[in-house]
Amino acid sequence: MAESNLLNQNNLLILGIVGGLIGIYLSGLSTIGGLISCLGGICAIVWGADAIRRVASYGLGTGVPSIGYMSLGIATVGSIAGLTAVLAFPALGGLAIAAPILGLIFTMIIGACMGLVAVKIIGMKIPIMVRCTVEIAGAASLSILAFSSAVAGGFAAADILNYVVAPGFIALFYIMNCMAIQHPYNACLGPNEEQTRTLKCAASTAFLAMTITGIIALSHAGVVPAILILIVGLCGWYVSFKAFLKASYEAAASVKWTGLWPKVEE
Amino acid sequence: MELISLIILVIFIVAGGVCIGGGVHFIPVGGAPAAMSTATGVGTGTAMLAAGAGLTGLITAASMTGQAWYLVALAGAVGAMLMMGITMLIANFVYIFGVGIVPASSKASIDPITKLDQDPYKTPGTEGHGVPTVCFVSGIIGALLGGAGGGLVYYAVDSFASASTVLSGVDATAAAGLAAIVSVGIFFINSVAASYNIGGTIEGFHDPKFKRIPKGILASAIMSLVAAIFVILMLGGI
Repeated sequence: MAESNLLNQNNLLILGIVGGLIGIYLSGLSTIGGLISCLGGICAIVWGADAIRRVASYGLGTGVPSIGYMSLGIATVGSIAGLTAVLAFPALGGLAIAAPILGLIFTMIIGACMGLVAVKIIGMKIPIMVRCTVEIAGAASLSILAFSSAVAGGFAAADILNYVVAPGFIALFYIMNCMAIQHPYNACLGPNEEQTRTLKCAASTAFLAMTITGIIALSHAGVVPAILILIVGLCGWYVSFKAFLKASYEAAASVKWTGLWPKVEE
Repeated sequence: MELISLIILVIFIVAGGVCIGGGVHFIPVGGAPAAMSTATGVGTGTAMLAAGAGLTGLITAASMTGQAWYLVALAGAVGAMLMMGITMLIANFVYIFGVGIVPASSKASIDPITKLDQDPYKTPGTEGHGVPTVCFVSGIIGALLGGAGGGLVYYAVDSFASASTVLSGVDATAAAGLAAIVSVGIFFINSVAASYNIGGTIEGFHDPKFKRIPKGILASAIMSLVAAIFVILMLGGI
């Protein structure tokens, strides 16, 4: 299936990391900070959905959602550790500005351990298991950090603990981002699955998650920034979901007209 | 934080993780074939079953916040066992009265607990169906281990977070929230590692795949140790 990729995996990786980090770092801006942060989260989710697509096409044996839930588990531990490590260890105090990058690195280290355990100890025979687990966990980490910063109005650890962890929104982000990352491939997998269609679905689930983040952001970020996130999220969802539906109809029509599956499988 | 309490934290998280990872091996996970009643077990994946039972266990464990560790672990175990029992019971109602099949195991020709024949009731071409008694009992044992493990992890992170200076300036509920989300994360890491080990589906302790449990426990122990190190980084104290 790798040959049918229109978008290169490394380009998507760069889009996810750079887009996600820019979003998180600009989350402190007034009014539009939350919006930019959420858009960064969407870049990360699209990257994660592509990584899921690559690893799950080998057949995990446990269903597509399992790796999503696991990666989000890794990401919550790693990203919160990255944010609060600068508070916990005074020696790291100078790194406060690098907290999101630290969170991403921590998450990727745990992800690499998980990938290695899966390959070396459990004996899974997926060659790209380590790389993809690292990528999905990294994407999950950036998406959680981006949405959390949008709600808390910045990536300061104390703000995120106060406005995202204490009210329990972090649990919602856990499940919501997991759905946004794992659902696209789970919904599109099959003989004529193709990258652009799956990623259109990923964009629609990501914008849907962003819309919900907009509602949550009403709790702390203020009315105008929250409404901005909500409206842009809804518009983005409408456009991307329409594009996904169109792509699905086009792919379905080629089946309907010939009565045969298109020759894209293996 | 003194060294001894850090060691206790790591021991609790690793023990909890091993209980979770080991417990998953007992749960009758049927996957997609069971959803069509063509394999034994509950018709969904490990992640979903573990999430259902484990998260209920975490809620009941959290209701014991502040109590001794064994009470928190027991509360978690009771919650998870209740949820797993209800899930398997309702699944059996659907299989028996909805689909119209007799619960039968394909991995044991005689149920090790009730001593009833299984083979004559197994539809040819299927891998058994429904949740027979041995799978039910196995599932309850698995939920006991999983829930107790989740409770232990919650207790460890919660007591560590409450004492940590990191959370001194923030809302008091942040410690419980942090403990809950971190234990959910560790729960999923271990249950999916175990699920990779059993290759998706298993009937219970009588399944030949159950012999793979040492590898699953080793994987869970390593991943819990890694997670414990990052929990220490998160809350400080060296």
